[in-house]
Amino acid sequence: MKRKAVSALLCMSMVVGMLAGCGSTDAGSAGSTASADTPYSGQKVSIMWVSNSSMDGINAVVDAAEKELGIEVDVEQVPGGEDGDNVVKTRLASGDMTDLLSYNCGSLLASLNPSEYFADITSDYADKLDENFVEAAGVDGTLYGIPASASQAGAVLYNLDMYEKYNLEIPKTWDEFLANCDVLREAGETAVLGTDGDSWTSQVPYLGDQYNVQAADANFAEDFEAGKTKYATSEAGLESFQKIEDLIPYMNEDHMATTYDDGCDIMMEDGAAHWIILTSALSNMYELYEDDVNKLGCFAVPGRDAENCGLTVWEPNAIYMNKDTDNSDAVKAFMDFYVSDAGLDAFTGAELPNGPYCIKGYELPEECYTAVKQMQADYFDTGLNSVALEFQTAVKGSNCAAICQELASGQTTAAEAAAKYDEDCKKQAVQLGLNW
Amino acid sequence: MKKKKSIKYIIGDIVGLMTCFFVFIVPFIFMLVNALKDRREANRLSLALPEMPQWQNFVEVFKTGDYQILTAFKNSIILTAFSVLGLVVFSAMAGYVIQRRKDRTTKIVNTLVMAGLMIPAAILPTIWVMQTVHLYKTMPGMILVEIALQTPFTIMLYRGFMSTIPIELEEAAYIDGCTPFSVFRKIIFPLLKPVTATVVILDAVTIFNDFTNPLYFFPGKENLTVQVTLYNFMGQFSSSYNMLFADVLIITVPMLVIFLIFNQKIVDGMVAGSVKG
Amino acid sequence: MNKKKIYSSWFLAPSMIVFSVFFLLPMVLSLFFSMTVWNFNGFEFCGFDNFIMFFKEDSLRIGIRNSLLYAVLTCVLKLVLAFFIALFLTSKIKTKTIQRSIVFFPNLVSTVAVGITFSALMHPSKGLLNKCLEFIGLNGVDWLGNTKIALFSVIATDVWKGLSIATIIFIAGIQSIDKTYYEAAMMDGANFWQRLKAITIPLSRSSMNSIILLSFIGGLRSFDLIWSMTGGGPGFATDVMASIIYKQYAAGYYGLSTAGNVIMFVIIAVIAFPLQRFLLSKEVD
Repeated sequence: MKRKAVSALLCMSMVVGMLAGCGSTDAGSAGSTASADTPYSGQKVSIMWVSNSSMDGINAVVDAAEKELGIEVDVEQVPGGEDGDNVVKTRLASGDMTDLLSYNCGSLLASLNPSEYFADITSDYADKLDENFVEAAGVDGTLYGIPASASQAGAVLYNLDMYEKYNLEIPKTWDEFLANCDVLREAGETAVLGTDGDSWTSQVPYLGDQYNVQAADANFAEDFEAGKTKYATSEAGLESFQKIEDLIPYMNEDHMATTYDDGCDIMMEDGAAHWIILTSALSNMYELYEDDVNKLGCFAVPGRDAENCGLTVWEPNAIYMNKDTDNSDAVKAFMDFYVSDAGLDAFTGAELPNGPYCIKGYELPEECYTAVKQMQADYFDTGLNSVALEFQTAVKGSNCAAICQELASGQTTAAEAAAKYDEDCKKQAVQLGLNW
Repeated sequence: MKKKKSIKYIIGDIVGLMTCFFVFIVPFIFMLVNALKDRREANRLSLALPEMPQWQNFVEVFKTGDYQILTAFKNSIILTAFSVLGLVVFSAMAGYVIQRRKDRTTKIVNTLVMAGLMIPAAILPTIWVMQTVHLYKTMPGMILVEIALQTPFTIMLYRGFMSTIPIELEEAAYIDGCTPFSVFRKIIFPLLKPVTATVVILDAVTIFNDFTNPLYFFPGKENLTVQVTLYNFMGQFSSSYNMLFADVLIITVPMLVIFLIFNQKIVDGMVAGSVKG
Repeated sequence: MNKKKIYSSWFLAPSMIVFSVFFLLPMVLSLFFSMTVWNFNGFEFCGFDNFIMFFKEDSLRIGIRNSLLYAVLTCVLKLVLAFFIALFLTSKIKTKTIQRSIVFFPNLVSTVAVGITFSALMHPSKGLLNKCLEFIGLNGVDWLGNTKIALFSVIATDVWKGLSIATIIFIAGIQSIDKTYYEAAMMDGANFWQRLKAITIPLSRSSMNSIILLSFIGGLRSFDLIWSMTGGGPGFATDVMASIIYKQYAAGYYGLSTAGNVIMFVIIAVIAFPLQRFLLSKEVD
């Protein structure tokens, strides 16, 4: 009785399958324009691109790779953020990953258990790449990924004209920064732009303060991972959360509803003096307002010590190679191309960098944004920079953004937020098997 | 007296239409207006008219990603059509028996159906099951999952409506010697037509607008569905609201067509289409 | 006649097989995982630890409270509004066909689009809603940014989108009422409210029950709209049970989030099954 029903069911699925199959034969035959003498002509490589930012760069590299190598690259775009995390984890766990995956490095990489899924590429690329990146895109000394784009920073973007108009200096300490904000506020400007409508932006002042935390306590990252230091009890750590609270009176009144997209418009229309944000905002503003983006400068989130004022850097997403790919030659060739000068030129031609490249010897292009030039001169040439905490330790609480947003809305105090975040990190530590 | 009444109804018409306009139409005007702006203007999300209507936005949506929206339309329409077909046939049969026969089996089925309304799908185990029967990442697999997910709601509608169909009709047919299946096919199912119209439109809208399930159970570049195309234009780091709204309006068209076709029948279908235990 | 033979279990087979294989079986499998720590290395049995940990979640209390509030409010609002709209749209007004269609429009659009549209309309400084308020001389409200109001703003949007289904169910229920009842009542001189109380409400009880159950269960499970409008924020102010579970899954706490699903199911079941029995007992009267 059951068997009959099952076979009826299978019949139906077959019919459906045939019908579904009919329509899809036209796929894939369109793109074979590469000439036959390219080394990998006709070979196909698939890549899952997890990000919401512009696809111009990757598309340019894909086109160039097809011309040079003959490799056909299928880019599957997946939304970033929590939705993307879910998709990536589900696909990995079900054994159905594309040949290449472009995804965050640092703590989010560690949460994927990379040794299980990704190929070890230490010997191929490690010495070509920036050390900080190698550390972030690897686990326990094994490198898994190549940089998908240039690095960026969590920093203060500021309006150059306003600084000139009100005769302000780039602040070297947090107090100087607040003094500047006072001047601007009294003049009727929005001193600091808050875009807490998108919770991920709320955490940038805290995350971007990591250089200062480390300046005060050089072992903070290690001690934090070991559970020896907590934000609530560390003076420097608590200050990072305090900064979010300090900013509230200087922000636009509707900051809880202002989104990141709104923020880009507001900065470009001289609606605010400062915005503490990831520098990838520059690319977004460039797409909308082109060269107007050069009216913005950039300085690091200031700390206590005017002598030691440095920048917190974000490593870019990395491209990881699926361990079980059945096409490893072509995949490798594409990766080689991606980090070659030809590949990087193609990428840069389509998308200007928001920070220095993570590839040794590849310099910023002439035409890059003013803010990025400033960053290079003030913080990279001088060595005054370090990477954000999530690239130094695998422990990053999943509710960081919401906790910071809550703090920015005035529902909690800095001390409460810090304690909440410690508690949130504990969950991650348990998952990682750390002894907290 | 009569005249006074008709004036009352005309006032009712006017007030009703005005309310409809402000409550239900204005948000759509908002979408349309912003779909016609350039990116910078649209990202301000205001209700102001566009400086210059950008009709080419709609063309651009089609061109994005090498006309991928056409693949998406094809997939979504196949998915919706077969899922709804399966749901109508399977659930009508089930609803018929559950309503007519009250014993332990139908009681259990009833409880399972209610429980089905309450639990979200378990993603990873579902993928394992699909992999075991080799239906993961296939259209038939996706169709079966959508059917499974909508079964409880659909059975509920059919079961509720069944109670309005007099049992004497079938009894007469059985006495004439018809088989159970032919009774269902020739007598019951035609009588269910109104509720079927309701089921078609409600299930079609749900499945066509489903974003999450295809994302998990039907991944891959070729397996795109229309809702996923929205992600081309919105994101954490940069959004193009003009294209997004143009896309939203384009992908709403098939549902609008279905709606207009079945709208008349939907109300009749809902007659007594209630949840009965 | 033999009921079992006429109403053969064969009729149940197709839907129950699909439902069992692709819904119930995964569900049962996931029960097992709710008792493991699962972290991509494999899994380790941990008994009820996940359940205990889930109950320790800070935002859980807010989540359960918000879910209940959301379910009760959307349910009541949809019920009351839909009832009167349905009454209006079954009266003798001329444009009822058009108006019925318009009421259904919001249901055609995907939740993501509705979320974006209403976030924009509810923007405190640029949004249409506050511009209207200012126009009539009132102060604007930070609809989604104010933690005390945000949940209610999402609830209002949910009602906007979901009102149509309730309305249609009611229209059907009201239309199926035998017209002779009204005629008799008019003869007795019953006024509008009396007719409503004595005829319309009791006789559309079964529609009412469908709406209550569907929107209450839907409200307790709801997630999409909240996720696209506030992401559970500001902070955790609009977190509901489903969004907490979703965030845990995203963070890779698979066992924990599965335990959360089980708990959510139990909470819903504990409310919904008695509610169903209660409603049905009323219906028989």
